[in-house]
Amino acid sequence: MNALLFLQGIGKDFGGLSALSDISFSVREGEILGVIGPNGAGKTTLFNVITALFPPTAGQVIFDGESIRGLAPHAIARRGIGRTFQSIRLFPTMTVEENVMVGRHCRSGAGVWRGVLRTRGQREEERKIRERTRELLDLVGLSGADPGQAAGSLPYGHQRRLEIARALATGPRLLLLDEPAAGMNEAETQEVFGLIRRVRSLGVTILLIEHDMSLVMKACDRLVVFHFGRKIAEGSPAAIQNDPRVIEAYLGAREGQEDA
Amino acid sequence: MGWINPYHLQVASFLLINVILGVSIYVTLSTGQLSLGNAGFMSIGAYTTALLATKYGLPIPAGIVLGSLLAGAAGVLVGIPSLRLSGVYLAIATLGFGEVIRAVAINWESLTGGAVGVAAIPQMGRVLFARARDLGFSPDAVGLRPNQFISLSVFLILAALTALVVAFFLRLGRSRVGRAYTAIKLDERAAEAAGIPVTYYKVLAFSQGATVSGLAGALFAHSTSFISPSDFTYHRAVEILVFAVFGGSGHLFGPVFGATFLTLLPEALRAISHYRYILYGVLLVLTMVYRPQGVIDPPLLRRFRRTRAGGTA
Repeated sequence: MNALLFLQGIGKDFGGLSALSDISFSVREGEILGVIGPNGAGKTTLFNVITALFPPTAGQVIFDGESIRGLAPHAIARRGIGRTFQSIRLFPTMTVEENVMVGRHCRSGAGVWRGVLRTRGQREEERKIRERTRELLDLVGLSGADPGQAAGSLPYGHQRRLEIARALATGPRLLLLDEPAAGMNEAETQEVFGLIRRVRSLGVTILLIEHDMSLVMKACDRLVVFHFGRKIAEGSPAAIQNDPRVIEAYLGAREGQEDA
Repeated sequence: MGWINPYHLQVASFLLINVILGVSIYVTLSTGQLSLGNAGFMSIGAYTTALLATKYGLPIPAGIVLGSLLAGAAGVLVGIPSLRLSGVYLAIATLGFGEVIRAVAINWESLTGGAVGVAAIPQMGRVLFARARDLGFSPDAVGLRPNQFISLSVFLILAALTALVVAFFLRLGRSRVGRAYTAIKLDERAAEAAGIPVTYYKVLAFSQGATVSGLAGALFAHSTSFISPSDFTYHRAVEILVFAVFGGSGHLFGPVFGATFLTLLPEALRAISHYRYILYGVLLVLTMVYRPQGVIDPPLLRRFRRTRAGGTA
């Protein structure tokens, strides 16, 4: 039971408004851990804290045994944490292929001069980047898409997959997926589910924010539940489903309980 | 060889310097940063080499290299604090920087000659001509008059350097660094989450733009043999901006086209060259209304390439 990511007492205030307080839990190596909770519970803020888009105001983020608090976002990606965004953030005018290639940046090294002189090493590196890109496009089910078309012209569901391919290109050990099935129909959601399992089978640990409960219950090994910036429960999907605090957070308290 | 007209060659030489300036604003813009300080960086390059050549007799190539590098170093110094700014705020700050440099050039008379400027800067063509003569070469041998030889050699040197600069940034654009630049321009947040060190590349691009401006300035100094602060005013900064706005900033060829077209236009219409800035204004407004991305944009280039490929097939 190795903890790949360990969050200890994470807090995040936005000018007096507390978005997260005292969040502690760990993500075990190889698991799919779901993060659920009503809108505004602080799930996306948690992702932003882990990837240092917003640094936390309190607490520690321990990744693979080392504190990553204070590292820049790109350094965190390099350490092995990849992510997608709730509202898709591709590079819309770059091609499908280039979007994934950007993700390989932190796993390659040709600088200005090697790029301009096109040295043998640089060409070999570019070839490897393209090869890896094709593999990843294959993995996410985009092998049929034209790699030279602008990413912004892809259908919505394909854009979500491309974003996952870009995140995987950074070579993550931990992948943070922020609502990968948002806005998708039943069949597409099933495909996303299959993709998540495939990614996990490659040895990538997954932290998943998702509102589609059937997907969450099926895909996740464990769940943590957020409510108003606090963690209110943690456990197996079955246990969470029957947890009275969770039911209350989603549905509100029963009248009888309120009186009690 | 009577058709070689020194005047036309001089226009062509200024055109090439403008193309290099167009590249300079493009490079910084390719990471999404609008710098209007390029006239300032240009003057750093120009003054550095002009003073080194006139006061210490430094050879022209060394002065050009040093001028470009000093402008690039100034680019790092301006680029780092500018990271906190974006959009119009960055534009205003860099415009201010350009004016500060000009104020220094005007007021530090003991070094820069003040408003009078620096005269008698060795001119590339004339230096080359003198060298050739010392070696026993006479331009008559290839049928050129001395002034034809001088302006032709300036033009050829500038053409070679411009081609190098354009090729450099075309190749850079298609490399790992170029992808990082584009990613930063399109979405900084997504770029850093995808593992791109945004700060490093923004400062790098800023400094590259400054280096290229400095190069243009140094070449300008050795093409004209006389520089003064009035060569590097706010007007120059706006002129460079217009290359990018009119030509387009989505591809390197945009500002290159903009610089070419806007340098040739007043020459073609000599009668109205007095109204150049009015023409610029009208063109800018028309561009913004009818083609906000500029004349040249990547889809246009793709279509052009496809037509050509289809034509040869």
